[in-house]
Amino acid sequence: MKEKELRRADFITSVLLLLFGIWIIAATLKMPMKDTFGGVQNVWYVSPALFPLIISIFILILGLILLIHSIQSGGAKYFIDSFSLKYNGLSSNYIRFISILLALFSFVYLNIPRIDFFVSVTLFLTYFISIFYFDDEKLLKKFTAFYFIGSMIFVLFFAFGIFEILNVYYIYSADILAILLYSAYLFYSWLNIRGNSIFQRKLFVSFIVSLAVPMILCPTFRYFLLVPLPKEGLLIQLMHNIYYILK
Amino acid sequence: MFIFQQIFIFFQQIYFLMINPLNILILFGAVLLGIIFGAMPGLTATLGVALLATLTYGMDTSTSMIALLAIYVGAIYGGSYSSILINIPGTAAAAATALDGYPLACQGKAGKALGLTTTASAIGTFIGMLFVITLAPVISAFALNFTSFEFFLLAFFGIIISGTLTSHDLAYKGWIAGFLGLFMASVGRDQLQFYPRFTFGLYELDGGLEVVPVLIGAFGIPQIIQVLKDRIVCGEAKRFQKILPEFTEIFHHLTDIIRSSLIGVGIGAIPGIGEDIAGWVSYGAAKNSSKNPERFGKGEVSAVISAETANNSCIGGAMIPLLSLGVPGSPPAAMLLGALMLHGIQPGPMLTFDHPLFIFQVAAILLMASFAMWITGILLAKQVIKVLRIPPPIFMPIIAVLCVIGSYSLGLRIFNLYLMVPIGILAYFLTEMKYPIAPLVIGVILGPMADANLRRALMVSKGSFLPIFTRPVSLILILVIILMVLSQISLFKSLMNKFLGKIFKKTNKDLRDINVN
Repeated sequence: MKEKELRRADFITSVLLLLFGIWIIAATLKMPMKDTFGGVQNVWYVSPALFPLIISIFILILGLILLIHSIQSGGAKYFIDSFSLKYNGLSSNYIRFISILLALFSFVYLNIPRIDFFVSVTLFLTYFISIFYFDDEKLLKKFTAFYFIGSMIFVLFFAFGIFEILNVYYIYSADILAILLYSAYLFYSWLNIRGNSIFQRKLFVSFIVSLAVPMILCPTFRYFLLVPLPKEGLLIQLMHNIYYILK
Repeated sequence: MFIFQQIFIFFQQIYFLMINPLNILILFGAVLLGIIFGAMPGLTATLGVALLATLTYGMDTSTSMIALLAIYVGAIYGGSYSSILINIPGTAAAAATALDGYPLACQGKAGKALGLTTTASAIGTFIGMLFVITLAPVISAFALNFTSFEFFLLAFFGIIISGTLTSHDLAYKGWIAGFLGLFMASVGRDQLQFYPRFTFGLYELDGGLEVVPVLIGAFGIPQIIQVLKDRIVCGEAKRFQKILPEFTEIFHHLTDIIRSSLIGVGIGAIPGIGEDIAGWVSYGAAKNSSKNPERFGKGEVSAVISAETANNSCIGGAMIPLLSLGVPGSPPAAMLLGALMLHGIQPGPMLTFDHPLFIFQVAAILLMASFAMWITGILLAKQVIKVLRIPPPIFMPIIAVLCVIGSYSLGLRIFNLYLMVPIGILAYFLTEMKYPIAPLVIGVILGPMADANLRRALMVSKGSFLPIFTRPVSLILILVIILMVLSQISLFKSLMNKFLGKIFKKTNKDLRDINVN
């Protein structure tokens, strides 16, 4: 971060820290200080509020020092000036950051709790590897938009309980939809890179890695480390069947 | 007689650990993995230890310690590969090595530079181990006199000192990070009254934030975001024929080795200060004491030896406060502390009573790891550097998956993942704004100790803070904390400079008078 941006960030952080410190104090004041809790008569020095209260005081003091420093070093001015700056669209770095967040959030909050772990990992890796491995901003934007729309379809399906209805007919319906999204993503990627042999090779590498990693990881954790996977659906069940047949 | 008995126990531990072929296999495997983690820009020793901690959770304590210490040693050494061969430090610890290692490689001496770093790192780890075995029990015994006030202040001391020394911008940014860590540690039911604090009614938060997912989030996620966002790419690695141990050259630089080892151990013993600072300080000391400082930065052998010896001896240094006081000396040591807690071992003054052989075991593992690292380095370096060809966009997403499954597998709780991601993003923003992460992690780890001991101490003293000033250790700790805080105020700095200037002026005048007489 450049000096100017850093001081502006310091100004914003200091304000957030002050608000955070005040919130901690407000929360700790609701904790038992001298009254009884669980049949125990409290004294101030054994109160559960004591330690957070000390932390909040330090956070407030340090936040205040940071605020003063940021104002003196022009942070507040840079912050106010930033409102009058002309909007130049999203920077390349910012788009990359958004893409990373999309990959992480959809993987952790959307897919892992609901979709077969093998499929989740494959989907995550295909998207995450391909967008950065191609190293092409246009493709990054296109693939991110495609993956975002796919994830939104999942959100809608989960939010409106569509999977609950579908699961009555087929228990792995969410996994099937995820596999369809995965296939669609691969097809969409292939359509966009037709004629470019380097990109085609990169897509092939992404495809192989995204399959090889869960193929190693899932049996290792499930059978060697005896860790039940977060969601065992269609493919993990298939893995169980193969494992027990071989055993 | 006592010393011989101690030496006997030490070698007995080595024997017990080596008698199991699985341990040897794990030792070499973890060292190799560590070298790979260290060599690949974007992967760090801390992340390596964090990920392996989740994999070794089911193993017995000694086997998992072999794996964790071996990956730690291997990763700190492995950073020198990319420093020397592509001029990008694999880990921050090897940043100083790149300054002279890469020019050496450009001169066609890459093999020689790697040979020097391999032997220097092994010697550094060995010397660090010697300090662990001699100092840790002594400090442990001394710390037995600590009361609750001292333990409370120790946590504050840890975050203040690491915050001051690791911050690249304003020192108090480090302190802010430390206090944020302490706040995170206060989430959940408190230890004395089981009152739910900052849980927002979520029963998953009742037990507090689990340390390992927090650490994986704090160290792993920012790394993934930074590498992919900033498009870190590896260049073409310099070629070399073979690696020799370079014993003759090492012998000629014995003074550098001893000085760097002492610097490494000393810096490692300071809470939260990692191998990177040890490497830089040692590099600076080597340059200052060199007869040819102008050669530094152009491929000076003593620079490479000094930086590498110091960063590896720092491992032993970091283990000293970890084992004797329960305060991690470096970020990977913080991760080790988390792993030890998972195995039911609470480092600190009581460690020598609860697990009398544990310090010997750690020292024995460090010795074994330094040997394994040396052998692996000499024999497999040429093969290991092939991993540098893997582009970051391929290995970073795999690391992300490992972070996720690692955090989940510890408590089999998806909620750990829900915490890991926001903490990782918070850590990323903090890093971007030049807040160090080490104090935050130390705060998370030492928070429960500080909280419980503060209230316990006040219960004994019936609410009086006076014992802080009447007990010598706590008085020293509080004075150091105050001094460190005051040292950041410019008025105090100028007063101190004037005061010290007057003293030294007077001393110089006295010396001149003595010489004249």
